[in-house]
Amino acid sequence: MTAPALRCTDLVRDFGKVRALDGLSLEVPRGIVFGFLGPNGAGKTTAIRTFLGLLAPSSGRADVLGFDVTRDAESIRERCGALLEHPGLYERLSAEENLEFHGRAWRLDRPTRRARIRELLDRAGLWDRRHEPVGHWSRGMKQKLAVSRAILHDPELVFLDEPTSGLDPVSTAALRDDLAALATRDGVTVFLTTHNLAEAERLCAQVGVVRRGRLVAVGAPAELRANVDGARVTVSGHGMDEALVQELRDRRLVASAELGPTGMLRARLPDDASAAALVAFLVERGVAVEEVRRERATFEETFLELIHDRHEAGEAIGGQHGSARAAEQRAGNAT
Amino acid sequence: MLRDTITVAWREWREIRASLFSLRQGGLAALILALVLGVVAPLQLGAEWVTSPLMEAYWPFLAASLVSTLITDSIAGERERHTLETLLATRMSDASILLGKVAAVVLYGVAFAMLNLVLGMIAVNVAQAGDGQGLVLLDARHFLVTLVLVFLMCTFVSGVGVFISLRAASVRQAQQTFGIALVVCVMGPALAFQSLSPMGRFELVQRLAGLGRETLEQVAILVLVALSVTILSAALLRFRRGQLVLD
Repeated sequence: MTAPALRCTDLVRDFGKVRALDGLSLEVPRGIVFGFLGPNGAGKTTAIRTFLGLLAPSSGRADVLGFDVTRDAESIRERCGALLEHPGLYERLSAEENLEFHGRAWRLDRPTRRARIRELLDRAGLWDRRHEPVGHWSRGMKQKLAVSRAILHDPELVFLDEPTSGLDPVSTAALRDDLAALATRDGVTVFLTTHNLAEAERLCAQVGVVRRGRLVAVGAPAELRANVDGARVTVSGHGMDEALVQELRDRRLVASAELGPTGMLRARLPDDASAAALVAFLVERGVAVEEVRRERATFEETFLELIHDRHEAGEAIGGQHGSARAAEQRAGNAT
Repeated sequence: MLRDTITVAWREWREIRASLFSLRQGGLAALILALVLGVVAPLQLGAEWVTSPLMEAYWPFLAASLVSTLITDSIAGERERHTLETLLATRMSDASILLGKVAAVVLYGVAFAMLNLVLGMIAVNVAQAGDGQGLVLLDARHFLVTLVLVFLMCTFVSGVGVFISLRAASVRQAQQTFGIALVVCVMGPALAFQSLSPMGRFELVQRLAGLGRETLEQVAILVLVALSVTILSAALLRFRRGQLVLD
């Protein structure tokens, strides 16, 4: 049986007192597009750096393409491509020189190098501008070139940190098609982070949602949505008031509930509860139930539901305070 | 590893070349420097420009000052321009990345010094063409010694530059630190010499002169070899991905 593209168990990475990865366990099958989602500072970049062997884990274990990130980091980098936080292009060099350098770095022979550079620049619509220094280019053009660079050497696994950042909708759609083709046609595993949830839902066969360095959910986007869908119920009728809603909460028939201005009840069911029990209770209390509807959550709502800790309402999604990134910077400054 | 080192050096040279061909990015400064050091100064000093023993110390320092700028741009600049992490994510080893960078700037420093030396010889000989004194040339032995001293000085300075660049937050900070270090290196011995009594200074000069030019050259080469090997070995130990990502 082939090893998964990526597998980590109880992966921990500390920066001083801050824990950027907190027992991350994850398995990514080969040949799929995997979305790694989470708010800023959740540990996504730290995880990618660890998978590429750029950072050593504090504890736990991670294997990428069957190689241990601590012992065989060079073998991992040999087989992976990466577009990290920044495009990482040499702005004084032309597009062709940038790709030429990376082609040489991966020891592609000259004819292969020339052919791949032509193919990728053509596909990105950049061939006619290949001699221009990339420093003069727009952010979107640089991003397209950086993605081309990441896949230049036909890697088995490619890490893409926000690949569509700065791209216009047309380029975004084209890149999405290219990434999907990479996985389906060439069998490449694509591990990407993105804040564009619609893109993740359309493109990714599986997503992992990470929060504070821990995986909080993993599965196909539709599965994750279904889990949240199943828990959300709207009840229309007469005879519901705040006291009744409080009773629902006290009896744990709902995890959370609120009455809308028109008297409609919006409730989230606990994991082990059913809508039938809720409706039976309401009828028993004399409520004239007119309609019960399970709500379809958008993927964005699903994501927010997953990452939002309801017991810590003060936490800002996307906030940098205590983030893995800030901790990395502090650790770097301290050394 | 050699192939990867050459690949990194190739890319560094491309970047240096791109800067030189751009007047705004440093091409004009390089042109003026070449004109002043390769033509104007030799014309003013005449044959001394070629034959003076002091020039064996001048060329290494000239090349070193250039290398100090390039190595900081190569290492601190790579981080400042956010290209370092992408470079570290390639399959190339830490050592080949570092040695490629050092090789590129050392070769550039050596080429710059030698080009100016040859330009100077041409300028001096053209100026003295009608004097009937024959050609003023540096003999092969002294040319070779100059070349070796320039190479070793560039290697040593680039090693120092690696450490300064790794600790600096930006290219500007690295270059400022390097500038201060160079001033200390040049002014330190001069001040130490000045602090001696007149008799002490006389004796020191007499002793050094007594050693002879060849011995002084050999001592300088040995000291620079030892310093270069030490600093490069230490730089190789320090230049590690895990640390660089956090820097």
